[in-house]
Amino acid sequence: MESKSFPGVVDSLDELRAYVGELSQKAGLAKKATYSLKLAIDEIATNIILYGYEKVGLVADFKVLSEITDQELIVILEDEAAAFDPLAREIPDEEDLTMALEDREIGGLGIFLTIKGVDDFSYEYVDGKNRNTFVMNVIKP
Amino acid sequence: MAFKIETVIEEQTARMTLHGELDSLSARVFMTEIEKLSGQPIEVLVLDMEDLDFMSSAGLRVLIFSKQKIGTHLAIYIVKPQELIVDTLEKTGLHHSVTIVDQYPV
Repeated sequence: MESKSFPGVVDSLDELRAYVGELSQKAGLAKKATYSLKLAIDEIATNIILYGYEKVGLVADFKVLSEITDQELIVILEDEAAAFDPLAREIPDEEDLTMALEDREIGGLGIFLTIKGVDDFSYEYVDGKNRNTFVMNVIKP
Repeated sequence: MAFKIETVIEEQTARMTLHGELDSLSARVFMTEIEKLSGQPIEVLVLDMEDLDFMSSAGLRVLIFSKQKIGTHLAIYIVKPQELIVDTLEKTGLHHSVTIVDQYPV
């Protein structure tokens, strides 16, 4: 697996998306799939940085692990924040998504876009680390 | 790509042109621009997104915030958003609350 570390600050997001773009290109993902993966990883990384690190004053890096196979691009975000399962929170349902803007709650959209955008998303807490795993299917021409 | 925003206010219309990528860092800049409109008699917010290449949920939250902060009467027009940004607006249902157009005035 390839590995790259990023400082756990919001300024890293730009570079993180560029790196995900490079991995997607190597894997041969189409433009739309690349964008969806960038968006999903940006959303989860933002939560790690803002709530896992900055809010509690934790200064640490987070890691991006990746593997390209014939069928898949697998990207894992690994961080040192307290255990947090993004799938445990309530995700907006159909009723929330059709609500007028003025009546909307401002939360949950990030994880919703993550789940909708990738072929598989999973979470585990292993050896004191959060591991968020994103899988994109590679469609060979 | 670095985020940039330019705001022009003419009578009751605020027009903002967004460039680059809108993530949780740049959304703070967008939010500050929206906050400046608060208390002004703005009826229409025009967001020119032709040169915006990326928008995360942080950008969507500013759209929600703008309606809640400026007022429910506010009409929001999004001009020429890129296809993948339209996709995000549609997935999250926000396209019901804004008007997507090719140019403004329509």
